[in-house]
Amino acid sequence: MLLTLIRRELLDNLMTFRFAAAILIMLLLVVANTAVLIKDYERRLEAYNTAVQKHRQDLLETKTYSAVGLTAYRPPNPLSIFNVGLDKRLGNTLRVSYLYVPTLWDAWKHGANNAYLNIFASIDIVFIFQGILSLLALVFAYDALAGERERGTLRLVLTHPVRRGHILFAKYISAMLCLLIPLLMCFLLVLIMLTTSASVFLGTDDFFRIGGVIFTSFVYLSLFYLIGMLISAATRRTGTALMLAMFAWGFLVLVYPNMILTAIETDPHTDTETSVYNQIKQIWEEFDRERKQFLANDPVPGEDWDFGLWGDDGYTFWGGTDDSSKLLYYESTGFHFETLKEESEPQVPHAQNYHRFFGLQVTNTADRTWIVRKPALEMIYVQPAKKEQMLLKFSPVGLYDSATEAWTGTDLSGLQDFFMAGQRYQQAVVDYFLDNKIFESRQWFVAAKGEIDWNMLPQFSFQRSDIGTNAKRALPDLFLLLILNLILFAIIFLIFVKSEV
Amino acid sequence: MWHIAKRELYDNLNSLRFALATVLLFGLMLTNAVVHLREHPVRVQKYHDAITESLNRLRARTDLYEIAQWGPELLHKKPSPLHFCTDGGDIVLPGTIYQSVSRITNDLYTFWYLSYRYRTPNSKNIRPATIKVDWEFVIGYVLSLIAILFTFDSISGERERGTLRLMLANSIPRHTVLLGKFLGALISISAPLTLAVLMNLLIISVSNNVQLDAEAWRRLGIVFFVAVLYLCLFLALGLLVSSRVQQNATSLVILLLIWVSFVVFIPSTLASIASGFSNPMTYDEYRERHDRLYSELGDEYNARLQGTRELPTERMQLTGEYVTKGAARGERLSHERLNQEHAQIQLARSVTRISPVAIVQHLIEAFAGTGFERHRQFVENVQDYAREYREFVGDMDRADPDSPHTIGVREGMSKKPVNPEAVPKFEDRLSLSRDFNTAAVDLLLLVLFFVVFFSGAYLAFVRVEV
Repeated sequence: MLLTLIRRELLDNLMTFRFAAAILIMLLLVVANTAVLIKDYERRLEAYNTAVQKHRQDLLETKTYSAVGLTAYRPPNPLSIFNVGLDKRLGNTLRVSYLYVPTLWDAWKHGANNAYLNIFASIDIVFIFQGILSLLALVFAYDALAGERERGTLRLVLTHPVRRGHILFAKYISAMLCLLIPLLMCFLLVLIMLTTSASVFLGTDDFFRIGGVIFTSFVYLSLFYLIGMLISAATRRTGTALMLAMFAWGFLVLVYPNMILTAIETDPHTDTETSVYNQIKQIWEEFDRERKQFLANDPVPGEDWDFGLWGDDGYTFWGGTDDSSKLLYYESTGFHFETLKEESEPQVPHAQNYHRFFGLQVTNTADRTWIVRKPALEMIYVQPAKKEQMLLKFSPVGLYDSATEAWTGTDLSGLQDFFMAGQRYQQAVVDYFLDNKIFESRQWFVAAKGEIDWNMLPQFSFQRSDIGTNAKRALPDLFLLLILNLILFAIIFLIFVKSEV
Repeated sequence: MWHIAKRELYDNLNSLRFALATVLLFGLMLTNAVVHLREHPVRVQKYHDAITESLNRLRARTDLYEIAQWGPELLHKKPSPLHFCTDGGDIVLPGTIYQSVSRITNDLYTFWYLSYRYRTPNSKNIRPATIKVDWEFVIGYVLSLIAILFTFDSISGERERGTLRLMLANSIPRHTVLLGKFLGALISISAPLTLAVLMNLLIISVSNNVQLDAEAWRRLGIVFFVAVLYLCLFLALGLLVSSRVQQNATSLVILLLIWVSFVVFIPSTLASIASGFSNPMTYDEYRERHDRLYSELGDEYNARLQGTRELPTERMQLTGEYVTKGAARGERLSHERLNQEHAQIQLARSVTRISPVAIVQHLIEAFAGTGFERHRQFVENVQDYAREYREFVGDMDRADPDSPHTIGVREGMSKKPVNPEAVPKFEDRLSLSRDFNTAAVDLLLLVLFFVVFFSGAYLAFVRVEV
């Protein structure tokens, strides 16, 4: 009996014009957008490769340790085609320096071409499903029960010895099968386009991640179908059911996410910002005092930090940043010589001695500021973002979005993985400098072409987190979606069993 | 006809969709007003602080050479008082224009020039991306959806119930029926819309923090007119589909698909596709050309300097020439890049005009004084100001008989202290007539869309079999 019911429902749904039209539009949208997204990914990948190569060349041409500018580049995430998340928005170039511990807020973008293009919203695959498939699910669902009741066929079906639960179940199964067709067709098309594209490489893990995205999409669709069915079970007329379903969609997908984020006020934390910034500045001033003290005690008289060195093509440099909005403050001074004059050789040990002190102190200062800066950044930027994410989860759209972001690794945690890798790399570089006594070496400030083996420096490497981590991040939201499904199904069952035909 | 319109109106007023639409419109407009009252004073304060800082730095200079060398400091875009109409992508558009100086040789720098560097706060923003709830959102997205929901069954529904046949059995011409239905739906949506808009404006204008002047009200009037026109367009589309299609459900699905394509597909995807047609200068290319330009200028300068070793006046003139030439060339290069970038956006925006949603967005942006066109106007204002500023420097120098009149070198310029108040100040302006000109095409297109859809609906309804 159940099978008969399912077959009947399937034929009813599949053979309609609306279904064909919806599939057609979906496929068109998905193909057009995937093509655009793949092209965009290729462009970003190319920019990444050029930047990495250029950085390598620049490094090999560097002549002193103090002039070295190490940079970590973030490769674009191929799965950003499914859910772009923060992958395109946040900086992808991270300067790694012994002066500070790098964070997301210190990064900037390489290959960011026409910045005005950002006024156009970028669409990804998940966005299409979020809007259109949920609409389709509601269109299937709104007359599932109310329609049959209105036409009187429900009464007819119930005269047979069939249980009400079975009817519900048959309707649910058949509609989900119908909705699976466009869903799987779209994903199949995207996968075909991805695998035929020469520049996108997907590993085994990536296919599992995509599997996670598909499963999450399925659960999301089912939730919207159940919302439609609930409305259908609770109303007597299809007209009312339809209106309620459409407004529910408009509210959940369109209005709520935008309205809640516009309406809530984010605390600007200006007090914390100023106090922490001042604290950081003080730590640097303390360092500067100690540095001056050291220089004053230096036995070479009458000279400041260039120690009376003479040479060709020498220059001194000052580097620093003073940005209270990202709580970054540092200063550094140094000098660089192409060759050193013979008569200033006796001064070199003094300079080396100074730099030994400088290296120890400056890395120490960087660590000390980081202890203050890390929790403050967390409080000023990360916490409000998390709060907003939380509020969005009151709508299934928010749950779906954050779950798929977690699968693709384009959520905040996924991107933080890169910046953590950058921080670890910075630590490795500093350790290498300290362990190999780089700060106090002559090559710190005197050019030594060929003497420095740049391959000895720690290399930056970044791997996206493994599939287990992605799953761990996605599961809470997925679980919530599943629970909501179950609750809705239970409510529909109760209403339908108790209702009079 | 009025009879039919009245009947439709009564039908709609009692319906669930009317209640839901009213609640939705009021809720959104209320949110919009409250948020605007909270955010706008902060925005204005920020702008005032920023220009005060720039002005103070400008006032601190009295030496003509310093004034000519460093330029007019940061120039800021004035926030529009009608920001609540649309945000216009302000977070991704630069609000400040910077100036640069470039190095010609080791110790010789050019004068200031507009480099149009931009910094957008968005790359540090980790908050979830959303659309701001402003008038543009309410009109472009929500109002069009409501229009579809009010009309999708207006004809197919009557046909399904059989009442259409009944009505046409009377001696009413078909176009009267269509017009009556159209007017009924128009009035029943524009009534709550008008009330919601009035409530929104009441809240905003009552507050002391936000002042709306006569021009702002005129602009708001135009925006409201655009909203009603846009509503008419979607009602006509709804009637068109509804009279062509036999079943309510099919009509709704088709309309929703059209709506989704208009709202989502065309404005974003088509813009991405269209922006792929042109390749503006990338930043790396710009850097390369910039560096090449100045190294060439530097070599040329050094070479010519060799010949003037013993002639201090000519040396001075040569230096002055290169300082000003370097600035002009630098500005030309960055202007070239900016123009290419703007052209790319222009093209993408023109292509998106296939969608009425994009047209309405452009129109509201134009009249609210935000968004891309406004940004271009700001850039033009800045360029005018830069010209005025340079002319001022030239005039001041010419007015001093003791000056050797070699602009570009400290010794070659007037030593007289300049009255800081006489230095031209930048003022960002908006003009309604100009906005109206840029918006005229969009307005025409919107009317054209309406005419096409409405005549389509008329033809479809007249030829339909009941």
